[in-house]
Amino acid sequence: MELLELNDIQGYVIRGYSDMLYSRFVLLEVKDPKASCKWLGQLWPELTNAEPTPFEAPRKDTQLNIAFTANGLVHLGLKRDNLKAFCAPFREGMVTPHRTRLMGDFDSSDPLLWRWGGPKNENVHIVLLVFGKDENTCLNYYEKLKQVYDDKGLQEIKYLDGKTLPENKEHFGFRDGISQPVIKGSGRVGSPDNTVNPGEFILGYKNNYNVYPDSPVIDHEQGEWNLLPPDTDGSGKKDIGRNGTYLVIRQLQQDVDAFWSYMNDNSKNDDGTLNTDESVKLASKMIGRWPNGAPVTLFPDKDPVLINDFNDFGYAKNDKDGLKCPFGSHIRRSNPRDNFEDNKRKESLLLSNRHRIIRRGRMYGETHVGSPTNKTPNGEVGIIFNCFNADINRQFEFIQFAWLNYPMNKQLYNDPDPVLGAKENTTLDEQQNFTIQACPVNKTVKGLPRFVTVKGGGYFFFPAVSVVRFLASLSA
Amino acid sequence: MTKQNALTIITPIAKDKYDDLFEYLKKIRLELEANQHEQFEDIGTIHYCRWVVIDHPHRTYHHTTDESVKAKLVFTSNYDGPKNEQIKDLCTKAANVIDAIYCYCEGYPIPSERTPESRVAYLDKHFVKTTAFYQGSPGRTLNQIRNEENLRNTLKKIIENGKWDNMSCKQIHGKIKHEVFAMPEFSWLKEKAQVPTVNYFGLIGLGIILLALLPLIIPFVLIIHFFYEKNDEVFMLKRSQLREGQMKLLESYEDLNYQNQFSQLVVMKKGMVRLIAIKALFAFANALIRNLFVTGKLMGIPTIHFARWVMFDDNKRVLFFSNFDGSWQQYLGDFIDKSGWGLTGIFSNTTNFPKTNFLLTGGAYDEEHFLAWSRSTEIPTEVWYDAYPHLSIKNVNNNTRIRTMLTQSLSEQCAQDFLKII
Repeated sequence: MELLELNDIQGYVIRGYSDMLYSRFVLLEVKDPKASCKWLGQLWPELTNAEPTPFEAPRKDTQLNIAFTANGLVHLGLKRDNLKAFCAPFREGMVTPHRTRLMGDFDSSDPLLWRWGGPKNENVHIVLLVFGKDENTCLNYYEKLKQVYDDKGLQEIKYLDGKTLPENKEHFGFRDGISQPVIKGSGRVGSPDNTVNPGEFILGYKNNYNVYPDSPVIDHEQGEWNLLPPDTDGSGKKDIGRNGTYLVIRQLQQDVDAFWSYMNDNSKNDDGTLNTDESVKLASKMIGRWPNGAPVTLFPDKDPVLINDFNDFGYAKNDKDGLKCPFGSHIRRSNPRDNFEDNKRKESLLLSNRHRIIRRGRMYGETHVGSPTNKTPNGEVGIIFNCFNADINRQFEFIQFAWLNYPMNKQLYNDPDPVLGAKENTTLDEQQNFTIQACPVNKTVKGLPRFVTVKGGGYFFFPAVSVVRFLASLSA
Repeated sequence: MTKQNALTIITPIAKDKYDDLFEYLKKIRLELEANQHEQFEDIGTIHYCRWVVIDHPHRTYHHTTDESVKAKLVFTSNYDGPKNEQIKDLCTKAANVIDAIYCYCEGYPIPSERTPESRVAYLDKHFVKTTAFYQGSPGRTLNQIRNEENLRNTLKKIIENGKWDNMSCKQIHGKIKHEVFAMPEFSWLKEKAQVPTVNYFGLIGLGIILLALLPLIIPFVLIIHFFYEKNDEVFMLKRSQLREGQMKLLESYEDLNYQNQFSQLVVMKKGMVRLIAIKALFAFANALIRNLFVTGKLMGIPTIHFARWVMFDDNKRVLFFSNFDGSWQQYLGDFIDKSGWGLTGIFSNTTNFPKTNFLLTGGAYDEEHFLAWSRSTEIPTEVWYDAYPHLSIKNVNNNTRIRTMLTQSLSEQCAQDFLKII
C-alpha cells in the first residue's frame, strides 16, 4: 500500500479540523509579486500539514492553510507555459459559459451577481485559510497574519467567516458532513466500501481507476526548481502537483424560510393546520437523514432523536425500491453507495466511489438551526461549501451535474436534487418534483423551489507545503 | 414493427463556399437553440439529425489520409421507416433547408434544375452505408414515443388526483385502465406494442460460431499483439494537454439541455490485418446489438439513444456518432466503466489510440489518456436536432413498459410493479 507523505500534504484535505470552531477564509490579490513571494517564504513553515498531532503533544489552537487560483499562480510569477500543465477546469475557473450550464448557476445565482469570484468581481489570487478553536482565537491569529501581509504587496479583497453550528448542523437544521470517504494510506481506517485510493484526492498517487490522476507536470525551469519532485514516469519534468489537490469553494446562501415554508405547506393536516412532525418527515425524506443525522433508509418512519452519525449502510439490500429513502433524496443522489442506477451491489460501490469528494462545509451568518417553527434567521445565512478532489470534472462537477441537477436519475423524470439541483425559474411546461416512492402509489410533491443561491465561488490549487516554498521562490 | 434506421450522407463542399456554409449552419443552430424546429418536426419521423464538417483545413483538427482532399459535409439522422421515403421526405417537406445547405456543395443541382427527384438523386448518390448501428429503444417510432409519453403523463395525473385507500394494486390497475381506455386520444392502445426481447437462440448460435472460430481467433490475436501492437504509435496526451481552442469549441455545443451528441473521426491503422480485425469486431457488435442489446443498454451503458459507426473513404477512416443522456464526462466515464474492452477492441485498430494489449485490454482502461484521446478525436457538430430532449432513453423504455403493462391483466404482484414505475 502506498503511504501518503503526510508531512508534505497540507492538513485541511486530510483532517477536518473539527475542533476549530471558527474559520476565516481571506481572499487576497497579489499586488506586488516580489513582496508576495517574500511573504510566502516566511509563511510556508507555519502551514499545517496532514500529520496527526502526536498524542502527548499539546493541542494546537490554530491552523493555517493556503490555496491559489490560476491567476494567482501567474501573478506570483509562474510561467504561462507551466500553468498550461494544470487541468482545464482550474485554468479556466468556475465561471465559463459551459461550466455555468453544468453548475446550473442561473437567475439569482448568475455569476454576474456574485460577491466574489464572478466576472465582475475583483481578481482572487490566493485564499488564506485561517482556523481557530474559537472566534477570538481565530480572529487574533488573523490579525497577527494580516499585519505581516499588509505591507507585503497583497491586498485583502474579502473574507468569508465560517463557523460550526451546535451539533454540527447546517442552517436548515440537519446534521451535516457525516459521510466522508476514507483515504487509503492516510492512517484513518474505515469500511472497505467507503475506502478509496489516495489519487482520488491527492495528486501523485493512483486513483480508483488504478492510474495516476492528471497532475500538473511542468518543464520550463524557474525558481528553486529542485524543490519540486521529479515526474514519476521519468520524463525529467517536475511534478508541481504531487501531494497537492484542488479545492472547490462555493458560497451558498440558504433560504431557511422558503425551505420550511415549503415543507410546512406540503405536509399540512386535512384542516389546513401545521403538522410539524409531517413537515420534519418530508424534509428528512428530501435530505435522506433526520435532523439529528440518522439515515432515513434505516429509520424510515420516525426520527430516533439521538444524534446518529451512523454511516456504514447501503440501499441495495433493504431499500432498492426507494420505499424508505426516496431515490431523489439528497444523500442518496450525491452518493448512491451500493445502489447506483440498476447496477449490482459490488459494481455500484465501484462506480459510486469514482465520484467522491471530501466535503468541508462551514456555516456563515447568525447561528440558526432551522425547524418548522423556527424558520426565520436574523439576516443572511448559508454555507461556505468547500470540497477537495483530484479531478474536478469527474468528481465535483460530475456530482453537481449528473447527480444533483440532472432530473432523470434512476427511474425519475422531473426530479432534480431538492437541496442543490432545483432551478429557480423553469420553462413553461417543465415540472420540478420530488417523488416519494410508496405502495401502492408513488406520492409526488410538486413545484419544488430553489432553496439556495450561489453568492460566489472558485477553483483553487491546494499545493504541497514544499510547493508553496517553491512558489515563494518564483519572484524572489 | 417499423424499423429505426440510420442515414449517413457525405458530400464534398465547394471550395469557395466554406464560409457561406458555416454561416448558414450556424443560423440553423441558433434557430434550434431558440426552439424553432418546425422544419424537422414536420417530417414526423426524425428522432435526431446533425451536420458536421470534416477535412476542413482550419475548422477541424484532423489529419486526413490525403492532404489534397476537400472538406466534406456529413449529414446523419436517426429516423423511422425505409430509407427511400426518408430521403424523399427530406427533399419535399424540408426542401428549402436542403437547398439552402446543399447549394454550397459540389454537384448539387442548380436552382433551375432542382426538383424533388434531382434532390433525391443527389443525396442518394452520396449515401454511405452504416457499418454498425445501435438503437436504445428498437422499433419505437417517434410517434409512439410521443404517444407513450402522453399516456404516462395522463396516468400520473389520474393517480395523483385519485383516492386509492383500501384498494388493492390490482383494483387500482383495473380502474385506471378502464378510465384510460375510455379516452379517445388513447384509441391506439388497442394495437399491441411490439418490443424486442433478448434472443437466446441467436446468442447460443453466436457462441457456437465463436467457439468454432477460436482456433483462428487465438493465433490472430497473438499475431496482432506481437507483430502489430508492439510497434503501434500510442496516444500519450492528458486532457490538460489538449488544444484549448478545440476544447472550448466542443464545449460550446454541450449541455444546452440534458442530452448531448458525440461525433468522432478516426483513421484506420494500415494493413489488411487491422481491417479484418475491425470488420470482425463490427460483425460481432452487430450480432450482439441485434440479439442482446435490445432493451436500452449498449454493453451496460444505459444512456444511449442511438449510436453508429460508419467506415468510409475506402475503409481508411471511421466516423462514430451517438446521441446520449447527461454530460460528456458521464458518458465517457460510462464507456470506461462498462464497456472498456468493446471500445478498445474496435478503436485499437485506429491510429494513435492509448496503448492496448491483445486487442481488448489496455486502451480505454487507461482512464486519463482515453478521455484525452476521445476529446482529441471528437469533431464539432455544427447543427444538432433532438426531437425529445426532455426524455432519457430510460424514460422512453419505461413508458413502453407502462403501456404494455397497462393493457395486460395483471396479478396483484405485477400490478404493484406496474404502479411502482409510474
